[in-house]
Amino acid sequence: MGAVQLTGVRKLFGQLEVIKGVDLTVADGELVVFVGPSGCGKSTLLRMIAGLEDVDYGDIRIAGADVTELAPARRGVAMVFQNYALYPHMTAYDNLAYGLRRAGMARADVDARVQETAALLQITELLPRRPKAMSGGQRQRVAIGRAIVRKPEVFLFDEPLSNLDASLRVEMRSQIARLHHDLKATMIFVTHDQVEAMTLADRIVVLNAGRVEQVGTPREVYHNPANLFVAGFIGSPAMNLIPATAGQGALTLPWGTKLDWPGASAGSVTLGLRPDRLSLVAESQAQATGQVTLVEHLGDESILHIRLAGGASLTIKAPGDVGARLGDTAHIGFDLTNAALFGPDGLRL
Amino acid sequence: MGLLRGGQPLTKRRTAPRKLGQSLIYHAVMLAIAAVFLLPFYWMAISAFKTTDEIFARPVTWFPDPIHWANVPDLLTRTDFPFLRQFFNSVFYAGSVAAAVVFSCSLAAYSFGCLRWRGRNLVFGLTVCALLMPAIVTFLPVYLGWTKLGLNGTYWPLIAPYLLGDAFYIFMLRQFFMGVPRELMDAARLDGASEFRIWWQIVLPQVRVALVIVGLFAVVYTWNEFFGPLIYLQDREKFPLSLGLFTFQAARAREWSAVMTGALITALPMVILFLLTQRLFRQGLASSSLK
Repeated sequence: MGAVQLTGVRKLFGQLEVIKGVDLTVADGELVVFVGPSGCGKSTLLRMIAGLEDVDYGDIRIAGADVTELAPARRGVAMVFQNYALYPHMTAYDNLAYGLRRAGMARADVDARVQETAALLQITELLPRRPKAMSGGQRQRVAIGRAIVRKPEVFLFDEPLSNLDASLRVEMRSQIARLHHDLKATMIFVTHDQVEAMTLADRIVVLNAGRVEQVGTPREVYHNPANLFVAGFIGSPAMNLIPATAGQGALTLPWGTKLDWPGASAGSVTLGLRPDRLSLVAESQAQATGQVTLVEHLGDESILHIRLAGGASLTIKAPGDVGARLGDTAHIGFDLTNAALFGPDGLRL
Repeated sequence: MGLLRGGQPLTKRRTAPRKLGQSLIYHAVMLAIAAVFLLPFYWMAISAFKTTDEIFARPVTWFPDPIHWANVPDLLTRTDFPFLRQFFNSVFYAGSVAAAVVFSCSLAAYSFGCLRWRGRNLVFGLTVCALLMPAIVTFLPVYLGWTKLGLNGTYWPLIAPYLLGDAFYIFMLRQFFMGVPRELMDAARLDGASEFRIWWQIVLPQVRVALVIVGLFAVVYTWNEFFGPLIYLQDREKFPLSLGLFTFQAARAREWSAVMTGALITALPMVILFLLTQRLFRQGLASSSLK
């Protein structure tokens, strides 16, 4: 297996720069997830690693070798696509065997490798079938099999679970995690689903507008976001970002509430608070007051959307049995544990 | 009694009288128009089994009595009209052009529809522009070129140009090729397939229907092609039927029954082909939005 190293990688479509100088190292055997909003360049970056998009500047190394100019098949990578991309006119067996045959492997070896992979993924009974005779989950397992069978240095997954229903997605997610554990392979996984990113990743790479905003473990990017973008993007519901004025060891919120914050240098800042750090309190202890505009009951918890008098909105993660209803007045208390403070440039202070 | 839905029997909904009236008028008009188009074909068909005198007899007879089946063997055994030879020439000509078109145009369409290269849209635009240029404009230089090559009088000038593609068929196929998911080709590239192999093993199987449609169009067009063979072929033994029938009719102007029999046998393969594949024809016309 091999590490992946990207140095100063840039990509332009005409005049439009979609990847703006990415430096990144994915360690051998690591599962890294690229996450970011639509159009941030995560799939393009993955395709560049695969060799399906040209690299305009910079270079890409896999297992120490410069593969920037190499054809996709010679990079030692395998890719699983969002829409499976199984050859519709071939059986699952032929789909798995196609790449091995192209590599000039002997028929008996091809058969052995295909059977071994099929057994690993429990798709042996699917081998004689064509893709149209399979369910979405079965197709995705065959697609993963097609990647595994080639024993690549690096596995690339381009939103492979997006087309599956919720329960299948959970099942396939755990299957990919198991595979990563068993194969100890280097894997790069692209998704816009934060749950996938948080549950699968050894490290998460947060991308925005072609740039890497932060690289870290799921806990790091969740609890210590490097900037306002990461703070707002990672976590569902999103972090509350409240503009404030710092000075004299305290933060002053727009509605006049003062919060102790020792060491804060004077100036405009943004306070970031996860919704689970806000709670409904008695009026006497309230640090903010507003009106409930939406209640989302999720079973064991409820998400309350509250509009404050000045127009600002806050989101609270409350217990499932919370009694709040639409239009109620809500008194909110802040717990500043793990709160984040961002400077005027959007960077974490 | 139909199936029950919510306790109510499912019965066929009765057509409203007004709708029925409209439908009758619509079908009557359509039948009348169809009759206008079918009449010449019917006339040809019945004339093929009459004597020449019967064809011009008055009053007109709408069905041959008796049916002169002998017209067919008479035509096929004539020494002054190598009908069978010309029939097989037509089959060879149409089949070769169809094969050349399917091969060359699918390669070009793959490049225009599936590959990214600098200037692709410009070159495709120029290719489509060729549709706007009347063939007669390029006829003379092309004719002189083939003559210089010493290939005048052979089928090369009629078939070889199609090995370099045809703007209409390239345009038509490109629409189908663009519908093939890009990921299929990407997966094949990752599997180590060359672009030619991707075209051959991955993309062509996805557009089989389109290839059949284009092949059918090419066969029908070539079967009826008259001008090209007229210019390039001089030997009667090499004529396709479209040209052979014309020269026979010109030489034997009074033998209308033989001409009609020849015309019927010439038209019949295309009629049968159309009846068998009319769904594909309609699909092809809809996809190209042309003609």
